[in-house]
Amino acid sequence: MATINLKKKEIEAKIVYYGPGRGGKTTNLEYIYKTYKKQVTGDMVSITTEGDRTLFFDFLPIGLGKIRGFDVRVSLYTVPGQVQYSSTRKLVLKEVDGLVFVADSLQVRREKNMISLKDMAQNLKDYGLNVFKVPLVFQYNKRDLAEEGFPILTVEQLDKDLNRQLKVPSLPASALKGDGVGATLKECLKLTLKSLKSQFQEGS
Amino acid sequence: MKSDIALSGALNFLNLGDLLQLFGSNGSTGVLRITSPYAPEPGVVHLLKGNPVNAFTGDETGLKALYALFGWVEGEFEFTPKEVPTEKAIEKGRMELILDGLRMLDDGEIQLIGPSERPDASQRDAPSAGGGPLIRGPLIDYMYVVDEEEFSAGQEIVKENSHGNWIWVVVQGLVQVRKETDRGPLELIRVAEGCFIGSMATFTVNGNVRSATSVALEDVSLGVLDTQRLFTDFSALSPTLRSLLLSLDKRLREVSDRILDIHKRAYSLDEYVKDREATIRQGNPEERLFRITEGDATVVRYTDDGHVPLAKLKKGDFFGSVPFFDIGQEPAAASVFASETMQFETVDIGPLQQEYDNLPATFKKLIEHTATCISVTSMVAADYHKESLKEKG
Repeated sequence: MATINLKKKEIEAKIVYYGPGRGGKTTNLEYIYKTYKKQVTGDMVSITTEGDRTLFFDFLPIGLGKIRGFDVRVSLYTVPGQVQYSSTRKLVLKEVDGLVFVADSLQVRREKNMISLKDMAQNLKDYGLNVFKVPLVFQYNKRDLAEEGFPILTVEQLDKDLNRQLKVPSLPASALKGDGVGATLKECLKLTLKSLKSQFQEGS
Repeated sequence: MKSDIALSGALNFLNLGDLLQLFGSNGSTGVLRITSPYAPEPGVVHLLKGNPVNAFTGDETGLKALYALFGWVEGEFEFTPKEVPTEKAIEKGRMELILDGLRMLDDGEIQLIGPSERPDASQRDAPSAGGGPLIRGPLIDYMYVVDEEEFSAGQEIVKENSHGNWIWVVVQGLVQVRKETDRGPLELIRVAEGCFIGSMATFTVNGNVRSATSVALEDVSLGVLDTQRLFTDFSALSPTLRSLLLSLDKRLREVSDRILDIHKRAYSLDEYVKDREATIRQGNPEERLFRITEGDATVVRYTDDGHVPLAKLKKGDFFGSVPFFDIGQEPAAASVFASETMQFETVDIGPLQQEYDNLPATFKKLIEHTATCISVTSMVAADYHKESLKEKG
């Protein structure tokens, strides 16, 4: 559940990018930070955690409208996957409003995707959230690697591996080039806003 | 002063990360004061328009102090809105401070100040060469400590059969608890930080005889507890809880004596099981608590190496299960055998539980420590039993 800041007349929502290490979470956020600079408020915070980086910045989505007269501000995070970062993960995942799961399309990372998704479900559960209820979007990243001859999983395979039960939107992407990054965020924002509106019972 | 506090509470409910986020989105200016029972002085954070600008702990200031405070997981916080110096000793942004602080905590770069989860505990838990089981306890709240005493390695702290009614808590170092035998000292257990030396029997009229010897194995510092205050706490308890606690203390003495018996092979198992009926069978569930009103009983553990006698119970003693501590004996890990003449009554646990919940923390820790000691000495007894069989074979 997002926090309401009465002073600023804002609803502060939280979107977290989750996924296996080196799968492209930070690349997504770095691209968003660069490309949508005007909508970013404040600096990007980058914390080096073992094997990965944890990123954070605030983002003002445009054109999504207001909820009950409140502007919506979104904090974007990546979360460190390593087991030892439980305090960091707890802070990041607590009251998360929307999730993007960045899966690695490389065939050799197939198992890593599934383990990470399972971890995510468990972590959410630990903080009292249900993976079936939190707005979630899959991004199948690194599609461009096929052109360079790397064996990658097909979208159908990835859907079958990860999305068979969840049945949420999934989008292909090449975060390094920026392809699909905006579309993924937009899709996640849409779901998150919808969920927030129903939480705040807009129009009731 | 008190009336100026705008927000206060417990750190284990809202930690420093949560608080900084809260004050951040609120844009608050003021002083956050944090007290921990495990730190001698409070920590202070200055907030300017929601951003931490300076911090102070006992010996650090600025960023270092702020990061150190992320390790304070137990304690209280108070926030007082007021003007703070605008000079910024901390320049980093709020969210970076929070994420970095938590990351350092997870990476073990920040020392965790709290009960039992001390970072060095895992290494130190491995007993030193040749040592038996080692017990470590949660650190104690200093309210009950009236003085500190130092003992150097090898020095005796208390002597078996001597008189005394002081209770100490180990602040630092390793202490051996042992019994004297004609073949030299016999180690029962080793205790370290957070454990108590001395027992609740101190609170009774004739209870000031030491049941074991305690020796410092290295340089040790001990906190002397305010026995008068503990005695006052104890006197205020209901007669039932008081006798339950004394029975618990007696149980520990019994198990220690059994270790001696097993070591000397000076017991006959018949004494514990012959012509007796099992009232509680090891492993069978039993959630009730009983008190012996007539006759006597014995507590025996069954192991792969046979029966190990643990304790003799008499009129007035308790057996069964107590929901608020675990002594590692009946019903899960020992049987209770009743004499032919034994009679007992069921004790209502509800009021005891309520009373226990309201006890001061230090008193509870003393009780928990006694329970842990019973559990561990029972294991030690079983080990000595196994060893004595080996020697025979």
